[in-house]
Amino acid sequence: MFFCVVGMTMAQRTISGVVLDTGGESLIGANVLAKGSTLGTVTDIDGSFSLSVPEGVNTIVVSYTGYETQEVDITGQSSINVTMSEGQLLDEIVVTGLGIKKEKKALGYAVSSVDGGQLEQRAESDVARILSGKAAGVQVTAGAGTSGSATNVTIRGLSSFSGSNQALFIVDGVPFSNDTNTDGNFVSGGTQGSRFLDLDPNNIENIEILKGLSAATLYGTQGRNGVILITTKAGAAAVGPKKTEITVSQSYFVNEIASMPDYQNSFGNGFDQSFGWFFSNWGPSFEEGGTAGWGAQSSIDENGTLLHPYANSAFLNPDGPSTGTSELAQEFAGQRYDWKPYDSVNEFFRKGKTSNTSVNIAGSNDSGNTVYNANFSYLSDEGFTPGNDLNRFNISIGGKSKLSNKFSITGTMNYARTDYTTPPIASSRGNGTDGLSIYGNVFFTPRSVDLMGLPFEDPVTKGSIYYRNGNDIINPRWTAKNVVYNQLTNRFNWNAGIGYDINDNLDVSFRSGLDFYNERNVNSSNKGGVEFTDAVFGFLETYDNNNAIWDHLATINGNYELTDDLGLTFTTGATVRSDQFDRSGVRSTSQIVYGVNQHFNYENQTPIQFSTQRNILGVFGQASFDYKDFLYMNISARKDWVSNFSSENNSITYPGVSLSFLPTSIFEGLKSEKGLNFLKVRASYGTSANFDTQNAYPTVGVVEQNTQVFTDPSGSLVTTNQIDNFKANPDLKPELLKELEFGIEATFFKYRGFFDFTVFNRTTNNLIVSQTLPPSTGFSFTQNNVGEIQNKGIEASLSFDLVKTKNFTWNSGVNFFTNKETVTQLDEDFIAYAGSLAVGGGLFRGSNAAIEGESLGTIVGTQIERDANGNFVVNSAGSYVTAEQDADGNVPIIGDAVPDYVMNFLNTISYKGLSLGFQINHTKGGDILSSTVAALLGRGLITETEDRLATYILPGVQADGTENNVQINNSTYFFNNLLFGPTELRIYDASVIRLQEVSLAYSLPTRFLDKTPFGSLSVSLQGFNLWYDAYNTPDGANFDPNIQGVGVGNGRGFDFLNGASSRRYGVSIKTSF
Amino acid sequence: MKNYFKFITSFALICVISVGCNQTDLDLTVSPNDLAADAADPNLLLNAVQIAYAGNQVSLSDLSADMTRIDYFFGRDYFNNLPGNTLDGVWRRTYSSDFTVVGDSDVGSGVSVGILTNLQALEALNETGGREFHVGVAKTLYAHSLMQLVDFIGEAAFSQAGQSAEFAAPTLDGGEEVYNAAFALLDEAESLLSGTPSTVGVQDIYYGGDASKWLKLINTIRLRAYVLTNNTSAFDAIISSGPESYISSSADDFQLSYGTSELQPDNRHPDYASDYTPSGANIYQSNWLMELMYQNDDPRRRYYFYRQESATPGGVDVNGDPVDPNEEELSCSFATPPAHYEGYIFCSASAGYWGRSHGNDEGTPPDGFRRTVSGVYPAGGLYDDNSFGVVGLGLGGGGAGIEPIILSSYVDFWQGIMASDKSAFLQSGLEKSFAKVQSFGALDADVDPDFVPTADDVTDYITGVVDSYNAASGDDAENIFAEQYFTTLFGGATEAYNYYRLTGFPTTVSPSWEPDPGPFPRSLLIPQAEVINNPSITQKSDLRTQVFWDTNPASPAFPPAN
Repeated sequence: MFFCVVGMTMAQRTISGVVLDTGGESLIGANVLAKGSTLGTVTDIDGSFSLSVPEGVNTIVVSYTGYETQEVDITGQSSINVTMSEGQLLDEIVVTGLGIKKEKKALGYAVSSVDGGQLEQRAESDVARILSGKAAGVQVTAGAGTSGSATNVTIRGLSSFSGSNQALFIVDGVPFSNDTNTDGNFVSGGTQGSRFLDLDPNNIENIEILKGLSAATLYGTQGRNGVILITTKAGAAAVGPKKTEITVSQSYFVNEIASMPDYQNSFGNGFDQSFGWFFSNWGPSFEEGGTAGWGAQSSIDENGTLLHPYANSAFLNPDGPSTGTSELAQEFAGQRYDWKPYDSVNEFFRKGKTSNTSVNIAGSNDSGNTVYNANFSYLSDEGFTPGNDLNRFNISIGGKSKLSNKFSITGTMNYARTDYTTPPIASSRGNGTDGLSIYGNVFFTPRSVDLMGLPFEDPVTKGSIYYRNGNDIINPRWTAKNVVYNQLTNRFNWNAGIGYDINDNLDVSFRSGLDFYNERNVNSSNKGGVEFTDAVFGFLETYDNNNAIWDHLATINGNYELTDDLGLTFTTGATVRSDQFDRSGVRSTSQIVYGVNQHFNYENQTPIQFSTQRNILGVFGQASFDYKDFLYMNISARKDWVSNFSSENNSITYPGVSLSFLPTSIFEGLKSEKGLNFLKVRASYGTSANFDTQNAYPTVGVVEQNTQVFTDPSGSLVTTNQIDNFKANPDLKPELLKELEFGIEATFFKYRGFFDFTVFNRTTNNLIVSQTLPPSTGFSFTQNNVGEIQNKGIEASLSFDLVKTKNFTWNSGVNFFTNKETVTQLDEDFIAYAGSLAVGGGLFRGSNAAIEGESLGTIVGTQIERDANGNFVVNSAGSYVTAEQDADGNVPIIGDAVPDYVMNFLNTISYKGLSLGFQINHTKGGDILSSTVAALLGRGLITETEDRLATYILPGVQADGTENNVQINNSTYFFNNLLFGPTELRIYDASVIRLQEVSLAYSLPTRFLDKTPFGSLSVSLQGFNLWYDAYNTPDGANFDPNIQGVGVGNGRGFDFLNGASSRRYGVSIKTSF
Repeated sequence: MKNYFKFITSFALICVISVGCNQTDLDLTVSPNDLAADAADPNLLLNAVQIAYAGNQVSLSDLSADMTRIDYFFGRDYFNNLPGNTLDGVWRRTYSSDFTVVGDSDVGSGVSVGILTNLQALEALNETGGREFHVGVAKTLYAHSLMQLVDFIGEAAFSQAGQSAEFAAPTLDGGEEVYNAAFALLDEAESLLSGTPSTVGVQDIYYGGDASKWLKLINTIRLRAYVLTNNTSAFDAIISSGPESYISSSADDFQLSYGTSELQPDNRHPDYASDYTPSGANIYQSNWLMELMYQNDDPRRRYYFYRQESATPGGVDVNGDPVDPNEEELSCSFATPPAHYEGYIFCSASAGYWGRSHGNDEGTPPDGFRRTVSGVYPAGGLYDDNSFGVVGLGLGGGGAGIEPIILSSYVDFWQGIMASDKSAFLQSGLEKSFAKVQSFGALDADVDPDFVPTADDVTDYITGVVDSYNAASGDDAENIFAEQYFTTLFGGATEAYNYYRLTGFPTTVSPSWEPDPGPFPRSLLIPQAEVINNPSITQKSDLRTQVFWDTNPASPAFPPAN
């Protein structure tokens, strides 16, 4: 491509020079621009530049991040040295609520920024997961290890236990749906992705994170969980002349499983050291001799072989071993099978390949009054799980124009096509899987079962076949091939704004945005499976989720100098937001011909239909005062009306106020170049409201109608009408959230160090609770306003340039977050708000519960019975007695999922063009109910179970109070107690240290590129999640606690064998011309 | 100003669009996804009540059979294996609603149904009359359910139930009060059903809209209660009003009929759906009952059970020859039975009756094509003609069996319980049972006739039983009667748990695998779903609490066999 540089034909002269800092070190990459033109260059590795300037241009503009921009007179000069002095970093401008830009020093609340450089060219395609650890207080949890699976993003912990706690995503000023549209609960399985998957991280210019309520007041109820403000490259385009620049980046990554357990290789399939084709691995050893040796097994011959499972299987050979008539049975008739450990699980997973191509074009017209940006990218992400891949295509176009007649217009348009395919994932507690699922059965494959060596389908029927005699476990390889969940999303997201300057002090603007997506879900299973009705008979469901968020905003903005010292800016306006969701489709069952997944090939059909709409109207006002550049005050208020509450309760008003005070600007003595450079003290009080309800229409009762429920004796279908077990609550009110926040920001040691400290205290009143009711009332659930949560926490970050010389810099930073979420008041004794009980399941599976005085992360379940002295009670068989209530008769509390603290250590080391970055995360504390660990122990699979020939005596007392002395064997200990005993025994500490990110990048010095069309070229090596250690869980499990076991939502501290952790590494090349 | 005007115009235009698009409507409180509360159809509400009741009967029958050895019970410790959520579903379906799939029970695939709230809705619809049948039937089923909750739990919610505005946390009423309330409900139902109520549009899955049969059921539910409360005079009063006033013939049997549809809906017998799968059976039958029937040579065994094997490792085969143990398929076949199991089948029953003994908690070996499965009665499966084939989808009767709830044969046994001389009722009960069971033989078309009992075989068997009953005395006689009652209750065994606590018979049931499994449950825990959410209720700490009609000695002295 060729670009005409404006002015090429004009007379020119060349000016060259060096850009240095005050210490005489050269600055690499400083921008040098001929003033009033689009001509510019950047300094090379020596700080040198050479620029052709048109005749008549006598000034160049030199700028460098962190330094004060200088205009240098070049009249009559051909060579010049420029010395840059460090500027005040805090003069940076940040985007605050509703796109209003402000100087950061004027803000009375915490804002974290993450620039695009930390986001682009990453191996992870989910922008939320890249954000992990980049800012204090932002918590990101993976739904599963599959590429494209859902992600949970919360800021400052939970403030509500029934409403959504997911952060609000704003893209270029317009709300961007981050929904996760699941159509089941975690038990039956959820495979759907979260919709911020549609964003291409490479197209992001920067992200601002507004954490507190004061910061987010103008976003109204939607902003209560914090706001992630994303500015795309298109949206960021600033008016001003620039040359057209094309940037191309290409990356290749490998994606592999990181959480492979450390399996033992001493014992195989069976129970009590006897061989059997069990689910469990408590069989004989792989040695011939010894008490547990296979030599004593009648079914294992002297060569250490068994009759092949397919020769033995009663499923294939109903009349006895090797008698089957099917092709498969005949193939294996009489064959032997080696008694040895197989590397099944490792071989089941694959190394996925991820490739990402991104092209960005930015430019402007001659005058610079119109700027534009276009971005195209294509991602192909192959998961490590067979059957899982993700393809995404993005186009983003945007621009801005300042018209001559006082109008300005802006617009951006993003289109994303995300095609996500995954095998089914459902929960498992170590006993098969609760629904069709790929993971559960794979992870506890017995060591002597050759998962990858045994055929997984019958060559004739294509049905699932596996090692068990009765063929009663679905082969995971069959599942991977035959059961497909696909979600194709076409998403269109645009906004257009128009502004008008009434006069120098006042302008009005109107902006309208639409975020629309269509999720086409095509989920199917061929017939021929076993164990699950859907797989036995086959099913196909196709349905579309159409979701639209309309958002309109009108504002009037003013800016006045009231006196010489006192300034005022204000914004007032109104907004309309409408969320419309519509699901429609068909579900078919009973496939007729194998392999054809079209509705005509199924016997039965039922409709799928569901829709909701909610409108919110808001009016708001905000006024900011600044006094002499050292005191800033902001007051704001908003009132919202919502459509799904009864008219008496459908509105709420909430105010906020914030102050920022700069002592270093008023007391000059405080400030010194080598000591404190800048100090800011801030305080804010903010409020917000929550209208979120789990039941979209909570105030009016309904009757459920179901068809095809049963038949009468004549065979006619029965339809039922059922009074809903959800008790409508016409008195439901919005939640009110209040937050007090104090903070300090400081810069010191010649701007090398930066410190930010925030303490917050948030209370949520009138909590909207999805409450389970005693069924004897006639209802099982309702929604109610019944309590208060207090969420107190600290966020701190410190960064420091350890080394800062011409060629070598080392910036090291740490951020820290801790909080306590306490239920301070509750009208009910106990509310299970997530996990098993919340979906109508049993206590033993574990649930999150709100209990007055306890942490909101409380996990409840069954516990070991204690006697009056607190000793564990063991029954006469030597196993723990399971108790459903504690000594006080309450539901046992067995854990707290909220970590003690989360800390990230981030480093960037640069030497000349080489740069090394790494990020280490440490999450301390927090409990998790881990079915993965329990199953790996309980099934006798990992190294911890290798020492198994001794007997065990559980610590505790017998019912009569005497010390327990009943000996139990390995399977009773691990299987009956650790895996299937009281829930309490499956709780582990979720502390984890993680090498989250490592990158090594090299930028070619520009002088090497002079003769090439390239303006810049960089290569980087990157790794994600390269290493982690959940140091308080059994080593052999290699368990990764970063898993959202009950799906996206408010449930925390659960793992139901529905995830695996992913590790990614690879290379990325970026060039511009 | 011209520009300003342009701006206002465009702003106004967009506002009009948004209003036109309903984006500013603030009254969107009604769900488009369900029927409005006042739009319920009484016939369809009654369907929900009937299905909910059926779901309860399936759960209670299985639970009762598990504890009394008619079916197999998993777990060595009664308390640990009968946790508080055991009766959550039954409780929710009685008062609120819960998922029920009458056939197959995959997680999450059911529909929500319940009794009380729909009964209340029907009563409201009947304020102006015309829905007497609906209310009468729903009251009958609610009354029976309340009595059953008392039988299993000891108490139940009644006086404060279903009035959420007034009682957010209902207290429970004592067993006797609930029984009295249930009697009153039955009286009300009786008067509603006596006036030849309209049944237009009704789809009664039990009695096809025949009110006279519902009236017989009401009396039979009363009989059942009088047995438990030992109210001989009230019992005799109903009996003396003639056999047409209660369930006395199979034509009046109170049962749920299943079908053969696998999907949409799966209306097969749930045991059939579990056992007749492509990957084999999922239920273990009770070794005690199978061995008992085998030793008695009870001809019903071929209807109740279908053997996939002719021999069980460690036992004796169909020819009486011993079979080698096999660690792989039946690991306990190698074990030496503990002392307390002497005289009982610890592991391997005879002649291929491959099941499990009470309390066996071993892991599940791959024996889906080995175990003895549900037969043609009442599950609608295969008739056992010594073919020893394997199960599979659609075999035998295709699952078109029944859920026996109250059969005429049961009522004869109740008369026996209340009589001093039981032999006549033992005989008539068995005759009715055999007639019923044998009528199911036709469901499995392909049967070797050599293995079908003749009329003489049946007569001989019944005569033999009655003779040995007459020859015996004391506990021996009671045990014979009780064993036959339990055998008859197979498939619809809700009353077995009551009878066992009422009498302690049969004392011949096999012990638990665990020498000390804890005291036999005299009542179960209050459902967890209620206790957790209801501050008025405190959970029991053990299973020793006796229900009001259980006046026997406290556990563990009673029942003798534990």
